[in-house]
Amino acid sequence: MHIRKILRHETILAVLTVIVLIVLSFQSDRFFTVDNLLNQGRLMTEVGLIAIMMTFVIATGGIDLSVGSIVGLTAILMGVFWKNLGMPLPAAMILAIISGTLAGFGNGVIITRFSVPPLIATLATLALYRGIAEGISQARSVRGYPDWFYVLGQGEFAGVPTQLWILLVVAVVSALVLGVTRIGRTVYAIGFNEVAARFSGLPVDRTKLAIYTASGFAAALAGVIFVSRVSTTRSDMGTGLELDAITAVVLGGTSIYGGRGTIAGTFIALVLIQGLKNGLSWPALREKEPSC
Amino acid sequence: MHKIMITTVLSMSLAAGVAHAQQSSWTGGDDLPTNPLACDGTPAEVAAMPYDGGTPTDAPDRMGKTLTVVDIPKLVGIGYFSATSKGIADAAAEMGTMDVKTDGPTRANIDDQITLIDNYITSGVDGILYAANDPVAIAPVLKKALAAGINVVGYDANSEPDSRQWFVNQAQFNGIAKSVIDNLSDEIGEDGAFAIVTSTFTTPNQARWIAEMAAYQQKCHPDMEWLETVEAQEDNILSFNQANTLINKYGPDLKGIVGMTSVATPAAADAVTQAGLCGSVAVVGLATPNAMKPYVEADCVKSVVLWNPVDLGYAAAYVLRATADGTLKPGDTSVEAGKLGELSVINGSEVLLGAPFVYNKSNINNFDF
Repeated sequence: MHIRKILRHETILAVLTVIVLIVLSFQSDRFFTVDNLLNQGRLMTEVGLIAIMMTFVIATGGIDLSVGSIVGLTAILMGVFWKNLGMPLPAAMILAIISGTLAGFGNGVIITRFSVPPLIATLATLALYRGIAEGISQARSVRGYPDWFYVLGQGEFAGVPTQLWILLVVAVVSALVLGVTRIGRTVYAIGFNEVAARFSGLPVDRTKLAIYTASGFAAALAGVIFVSRVSTTRSDMGTGLELDAITAVVLGGTSIYGGRGTIAGTFIALVLIQGLKNGLSWPALREKEPSC
Repeated sequence: MHKIMITTVLSMSLAAGVAHAQQSSWTGGDDLPTNPLACDGTPAEVAAMPYDGGTPTDAPDRMGKTLTVVDIPKLVGIGYFSATSKGIADAAAEMGTMDVKTDGPTRANIDDQITLIDNYITSGVDGILYAANDPVAIAPVLKKALAAGINVVGYDANSEPDSRQWFVNQAQFNGIAKSVIDNLSDEIGEDGAFAIVTSTFTTPNQARWIAEMAAYQQKCHPDMEWLETVEAQEDNILSFNQANTLINKYGPDLKGIVGMTSVATPAAADAVTQAGLCGSVAVVGLATPNAMKPYVEADCVKSVVLWNPVDLGYAAAYVLRATADGTLKPGDTSVEAGKLGELSVINGSEVLLGAPFVYNKSNINNFDF
């Protein structure tokens, strides 16, 4: 029992992450600076938000491939609401997030009502939502947002990037929900054996609907943060983000068949991936430095 | 009924279009004031304009020190930006005090470009060279670089002036106009008649070039005859068809076709080749060398006007060095750029690369983009 606890996937992954971070910090003395680590946290937020909700989705044995498209759709809708329809920006942000959440709700309805496998359903909405985004935007970009809006994606709060706070709050709340509440146990039960869960009287459809809606919400929030970080809106934003998120979730120890997985695992995997992404691009820069 | 109405409207607009085209004073240029250069190539008087670029915050003294520089073009993996990177690397090797790495998005994508720049800011580079995918969207991250004390210089595609220190401008509108018209008059003579294939009348760059060309032609080659300007929307097939229509419409009167886009020029050359009129109808225009090589080698096209991207990168590296050293300061009117000599400062905070580059049979094979 004791040994098993030590050999848990998350523990091994955490040790691996620490080793990787130490090795990378030897590659460049600029890697382990507060500035760089916080900046990596900033870059990790969008995929992080999505991956945390994706953990719930995959833990139920489902998958959500449409998140990248929801990011693009939310971004475009916010730009269009604000620029073309002349709404105040806060209203446009809220309305865009609502739309993204509805897009996730739509996934949930298709999956639970019509019993379409999540892979097929969200593959279809991946194309649908991206198509809508491109149709609305006509391949034009929206930019020139007011300065206060950039606080969300480029600013800091108490020395830490604003969006990192959001990610941390979402991560802690989700970890609690998945770890210690009845909702969390329902999620695992569905993933472990959906039929058994249903016959045990668990609200299977309601839970799944809520999870896909939450996934849409996370993608929408990530979309707004993305727009704020890169200060522009385009319909192809977030392309391929779903794969980054799924990679983090699966690397974090969530079974792709459902039934097991933790937020902590996903979070550690996110850190590991971001560390590798950033750290591996350093030696190349260092190589060009003079040897003296 | 519906169909008839549409047909009527269409034919009416067509008729209006034809009527419009027959007012031959219409060149397709815009209405902005023009500033044609002197016919003999004397450099234009530089109108003094106060420096409108940005300033890095608390930049360390980098005079003479080796600089770590990152070059972030619009995208990597295409010939054009490989050429600018080569120019930057050449300049760095020549100076010996600059370590340059080129890193850019694999697609011309502003989000990826911003993320890259963001990462390089924390990696502690001394200088950033960039070609912006979006002049407005890139500004905040460049301002962040300036705030971190990094020297920021743009080339090829500008950003908002206060988000960088200097921008190396590859060509001015009146410079391109002069080069195109001068080359055209060399080939078709002072009294030759020519037509233009452009993208659309409202495309800003093309409209500006055409307006400057019209002004320069009036001033320096007044006997040349401007037949018509046609739109071809940067579409390959439409460009070819429009050039063909011009050849058929004007017959032997047409001595030259000018292509205003990198699509229209090769398409016009193709139309002339297929009509068997190489040598009797000249094609001059803006285009990239690779697209024009077959026509230049077949002697169907003698001059292709553009700038030299290797020189552009080379100049950008020297401007960055001078900025870091403090030898190029706000208010200066010129900057020393290695083998290119003195480059002049224009528009407040831009450095002009110089006269456009003319690709011809003798040099076109040295370029690959």
